Amino acid sequence: MSGRSFRSVFMVASCAGAALGCYLVSLRVASERAALEEVETRIVLAQRDLRVLQTEIGTRGRLSQLERWNAGAFALSAPSADQFLKGSFELARLARPEHQVDFQAPVVLASAPAPASQSPVGEPDTDDGGASAPLAPDILLHQASLKTETREVPARQIVALPQTIARSTDKPATADKPAPIKSVEKPGLAAAHQSAKKEAAATVSATPKKSVDKPTAPRTKPVTKPVQIAKVDPLAPLPGRRSGTPKDSTADR
Amino acid sequence: MNAPSPALVAPRPERLRLVGQRRQLLAVMHQRLMFGMVVYAGIIALIALRILYLAAFGDHAGRKVSLTSLVPERGDIVDRNGDPLARTIDAWTIAIHPTKVIGDKLALARRLAVLMPEHSEEHYFALLRSGKPFFYLRRRASPALVEAVNALGEPGLAIQREPDRLYPQTTLAAHVLGYTDVDGHGVAGMERAFDSQLSNQATRGSPLVLSIDSRVQQALEHELLNAMTKFSAIGAAGVVMDVKTGEVLALTSLPQLNPNAAGQGTDEARFNRATLGVYELGSTFKPFTVAMAMDSGIIKSFGKVYNCPDQLPAYGHIIHDTHPFGGQCTVAEIMKESSNIGTAQIAAQIGAERQKFFLRKMGFLNRIDVELTERGRTLTPGSNWGPLEVMTVGYGHGIAVTPLHLATGYATLFNGGVYHPATLLKVSPTHPVPRGVRVFSEETSYRMRALLRLVVMQGTGKKADAPGYRVGGKTGTAEKLLNGRYTSSAVVTTFAGVFPMDEPRYVIVAMLDDPKATKDSYGFHTAGWNVAPVVSGTISRIAPMLGVHPDRTREPDMGQVLPFVHKTHPEE
Repeated sequence: MSGRSFRSVFMVASCAGAALGCYLVSLRVASERAALEEVETRIVLAQRDLRVLQTEIGTRGRLSQLERWNAGAFALSAPSADQFLKGSFELARLARPEHQVDFQAPVVLASAPAPASQSPVGEPDTDDGGASAPLAPDILLHQASLKTETREVPARQIVALPQTIARSTDKPATADKPAPIKSVEKPGLAAAHQSAKKEAAATVSATPKKSVDKPTAPRTKPVTKPVQIAKVDPLAPLPGRRSGTPKDSTADR
Repeated sequence: MNAPSPALVAPRPERLRLVGQRRQLLAVMHQRLMFGMVVYAGIIALIALRILYLAAFGDHAGRKVSLTSLVPERGDIVDRNGDPLARTIDAWTIAIHPTKVIGDKLALARRLAVLMPEHSEEHYFALLRSGKPFFYLRRRASPALVEAVNALGEPGLAIQREPDRLYPQTTLAAHVLGYTDVDGHGVAGMERAFDSQLSNQATRGSPLVLSIDSRVQQALEHELLNAMTKFSAIGAAGVVMDVKTGEVLALTSLPQLNPNAAGQGTDEARFNRATLGVYELGSTFKPFTVAMAMDSGIIKSFGKVYNCPDQLPAYGHIIHDTHPFGGQCTVAEIMKESSNIGTAQIAAQIGAERQKFFLRKMGFLNRIDVELTERGRTLTPGSNWGPLEVMTVGYGHGIAVTPLHLATGYATLFNGGVYHPATLLKVSPTHPVPRGVRVFSEETSYRMRALLRLVVMQGTGKKADAPGYRVGGKTGTAEKLLNGRYTSSAVVTTFAGVFPMDEPRYVIVAMLDDPKATKDSYGFHTAGWNVAPVVSGTISRIAPMLGVHPDRTREPDMGQVLPFVHKTHPEE
């Protein structure tokens, strides 16, 4: 009875509830849409700010301004044609070690006496480090007695002060002497060393300009000879010899 | 008690009638009430429905004016790489309503004169007392100034933001871009030519893409400006153009103009020498004459010999040479030494009709075909194109064209012989290269390469060479017409070059108006001394950017010309 009488009330209530539900859904949609628009607006505003900042940076860093800075501070210029490489091969070529001719290296001549020619030729091949080996190169190798040094190098030595010459002459002395002696004697024999240095300097400075080649050659010759024997393999292939000689020559000097 | 009278019991007839009437009246009243209620309920229902509808589909109250896309007030102009060349920004504007000023006008005028010293305080005071409603005090004011003016606290001062055109690169490509007036309408350059597209709501959202490359433009402007200052020239012009498409990569006219303040520039600065100014461009025309002769079958080999005396009398005039041969000369030598006498004879063989035919096909007889509205009318002999005029036009005198004409002509000559009109818009699917018109044969175009490379290798254009970039070209020094007479004291020097010559890709034209001789140029004011180094300097800067690889081992086929160069003259 009560249900019957309240049926209309329930109907109205359910209708109202449904309408309210629909309204809430649409309200939710509208608010979502509004939020989306808000985000879009903020994106556009950010884009506008970006544009303003880009314009400002572009105006401050305009090309004519960069050109002015370049003229005043950087001084960069256009690359020349030689600064362009065609590919990796040309780039690799730049890293190739430069072949330097060492003018200071002693001229070594090989001459074998006719009777003894058979054994030395065979021997270095079989045993390079053998006991008989030191003898054989001694016979075979002859260092040229006349040293023709390049013009520039002696000229520089002559022009330089005697002290620098002394230092340069000092080097071979330390090099040919055994290393431990040098390190031990240096503090103790400083005076003696200095006098030896001075002597060497005196001999060089005393020599007249035109005959620079001659005195240096005989002086280095006896000293370097044993070193030469120990290091140079007379029959080594060419590149090995090349790599060997610079070392020698530095020690030589 | 007496019984009630029947008259009292029975209703009186009028009373009965009254009851009936009343009932009827009540019914009518009910009806009317019901009707009013229905109307009322209807209105309420209508309003409720409307509210419901608005709630469901309408906008909410707090909704702002939406900024869903960024459309500038006027379209941007960008270069081919997308770098902005012209933009519209919101600038501060300071204005004043003199009638609304409530403070002391004299004090206000004094303070305004301190803040904005371009006018005196008398001027500001007169302005404030004029009684007019509105004045602009400063457009595009700096934020610092706006802050200072705002701090004055005068309610009569109006500080607003207004859209304003900004050219971020200032003077760069000013004559291409042009400028706008106060209302934001283009009055020169591309701003004027594309005004409707830039201001149309539908099209202004996407930028206008020019063919200009701002780096190339800067290099050309810088080198030309240096030369102009060094040689005290009154003006200069330059063009860099793509040979194949006709795209203009750089176009400049000096003295410089700042389009941000175009009104402050002189008339001289606003004048576009590259497209509006016409000049007799002198010897740079000679390659056209040789090419015409080759196409007409007159010259079959660069070894063809002409008689080149020290001076050539022609129809009452005498033609001179700067380096007289005094004897026989080949076509290669004529070009190398820039001989007027030799070229005049070649031109005479071509004849007026053929010369006009070729010049017309290259567009030399009409205004230049380009988007700009500033286009100069070329000057030609016109109706009296006689035999003498044929000769003089052959070496570039008696005909005045713009530097852009010359660039287009060289592009035609070296792209295989096909004329394409110059364009300032980037070539893209929406703006394709228009169909070209064949002017010279491919064979002629190919063989001309060696001839112009020879000029730069051994001839008058040696200073234009940029090592490795195979520059070819031709110098031109033309005397200016002053007060109706040609004078050797004022000249227009031009260099038209092409690089790389073994596979032409770009044309460069540089021109100096009235350069003076200096100590460095040993007293000469010819093109080989002043404008050729501009070309060399510019090419060595721009060629790497344009993707031209320097190569010292490549050259065009020089075997076509070198056998025909017999003696070497000292340069200039």
